[in-house]
Amino acid sequence: MAEAIGLNAEQHARLRLRRRRWKEFGRHVVLGLVAFILVAPFYYVLLASLKDSTEIFSYPPKLLPIPPYFGNYRDLLWDTGFLRWMFNTLFVATSVTVLKVFLDSMAGYALAKIDFTGKRIVFLLMLILLMVPIGALIVPLWSLVSSFGLINTYLALILPPLANPLGAILMRQFILGLPRDLENAARLDGLSEFAIYWRIVLPLIKPGLVVLAVIIFTDQFMSFTWPLIATTSDELQVLTVGIAALRAHGGANYGLWSASAVMSLVPIGIFFFVLQRQFLARSLAGALKQ
Amino acid sequence: MTRPDAYSGPAIELIEVAKHYGKTTVLDGVNLTVAPGEFIALLGPSGCGKSTLLKLIAGLDELTSGEIHIAGRLANYLKPAQRDVAMVFQNYALYPHMTVAENLGFPLKMSGIDRDIVRGKVETAANLLQLGAQLDRFPDELSGGQRQRVALGRAIVREPYVFLMDEPLSNLDALLRVEMRAELVRLHKRVGRTTIYVTHDQVEAMTMANRIVLMKSGVIQQVGTPAELYATPANVFVATFVGSPPMNLFTGRIENGVFRGPIEAAVPSGLKPGLVTLGIRPEHVEIRNGGLPAVIDVVERVGPDSFLRARTAEGAALTVRVDGATRAKEGDRIDVRFPLEHLRLFDDAGNRIATVEES
Repeated sequence: MAEAIGLNAEQHARLRLRRRRWKEFGRHVVLGLVAFILVAPFYYVLLASLKDSTEIFSYPPKLLPIPPYFGNYRDLLWDTGFLRWMFNTLFVATSVTVLKVFLDSMAGYALAKIDFTGKRIVFLLMLILLMVPIGALIVPLWSLVSSFGLINTYLALILPPLANPLGAILMRQFILGLPRDLENAARLDGLSEFAIYWRIVLPLIKPGLVVLAVIIFTDQFMSFTWPLIATTSDELQVLTVGIAALRAHGGANYGLWSASAVMSLVPIGIFFFVLQRQFLARSLAGALKQ
Repeated sequence: MTRPDAYSGPAIELIEVAKHYGKTTVLDGVNLTVAPGEFIALLGPSGCGKSTLLKLIAGLDELTSGEIHIAGRLANYLKPAQRDVAMVFQNYALYPHMTVAENLGFPLKMSGIDRDIVRGKVETAANLLQLGAQLDRFPDELSGGQRQRVALGRAIVREPYVFLMDEPLSNLDALLRVEMRAELVRLHKRVGRTTIYVTHDQVEAMTMANRIVLMKSGVIQQVGTPAELYATPANVFVATFVGSPPMNLFTGRIENGVFRGPIEAAVPSGLKPGLVTLGIRPEHVEIRNGGLPAVIDVVERVGPDSFLRARTAEGAALTVRVDGATRAKEGDRIDVRFPLEHLRLFDDAGNRIATVEES
């Protein structure tokens, strides 16, 4: 083609380079646009949290909060129950995460590696349970929890999420991927079934445990419907419920809402930052000849 | 665990061992006695039950019926760790999250042995296997051969009564495999422990084992020294499985002391007339004038030897081993003879008929 329109090799190469540059540029534009769409709302909220209520609606909007206004944060921390909500949320989410990662990995080990009667049925029931929407469970769950006398207790927030089968199914898949010879070697080394789980399986599925912990923690952190129903006292309110209630009490205070949104992102951010390096746990490579 | 030092009976005794998975029979009536210090190869094609048998001995699987005795004790109900056996797995099964030293010392640590003693034993094993420089590395930082040696070392540190090895060399490349083969034999001589070695590679079995147990479809076909299996195969399966290229086989009938089939040959006297299979190893077929005429199809040169794949006028295929320097080429006519003393005869069920002339 190039020869046909009389270009020599050098011109041809230059043309190709130019084309590649345009392609690269186009790619960056698209990526930049996507990044903007993703980041813009966060920035808007951050911005709004640092402005007072008149400034939020001023036109044209200021893109930098100079000087920043910290009144929203002061109001949030001292005039609302925010710190209490935060404590409740962290306490519940951490308890659920720790308990659930432990239980799910044990259940996953049993489902993946131990032969017991009714294993298939148990697994099938768990899969079916996955398909039941939370809405259908709320009423029976409430009557169950209230008949145990647990309404308005931390246990009401901690116990029900433990029964979610997703984690155990996820762990089963992870553990199924471990070679059987590893357990056999451990068995010959004199390890009990629990010791195999604890000393061999757990260290090897660490990336899976981290994924599960992230899913559970964020899920608990953001869960709204069940905490709303299971607790009525202010003492036990979690972040989501508390922030929603701000609207009822404080009217349309966008600055306050924005500040609460920003503050509630902090623990999740720290959580991700801490666990990030755990994703890079030593892989299975080297256990077996590939 | 205390080892019965005064015990002098067989190291391992298998009595009518059977294993079924549902309706599938994996092992059927396996009987075997292994002497202390013996190196036994369990040989057979894949799916013959050899690995299952090894797992049963290790206690990693439950047997359906029969008895397993290790050092004179009934082991059927003993846990793997109580059987005083160590196993080397085909894919090594090293703990990826532990260093070489931790991998080697783990079984000792688990049995509650003092830390200093563990360290000493790990160092001894590491030196024996030339792993001294790798002790602080993780399995994924080792080469295939090194991982193999760690797997071996993990078995050695336990100083078990019996070593069980499940195709430990099959994942190594050809050169390393030959090297490790010799190393394993040396190791066995040095350590002197009873070893059961599973392999599908007849060369491994022939070169390493004191005795070979050849299996097929969960049944032992023959137990004997490598030479016995080669010279006097118990049946047609053994004759074809052991030896490369395999024994030449022809089916035909015995009539008046002569074998009539795709070839004709005088057979040992005293054989009853009937359907038989006649076998002869490629190196025992003689090329001599006045024999049965055949035409060469293919000449396979493997260095010191050459194998002539030939076909008789009746269409019977046979392989003849000749000197590597042979000038024979495709299309050449040869005359072949079958010396009486090298003929092996199998009845119509495929089992060997012993004859007086065979040597």
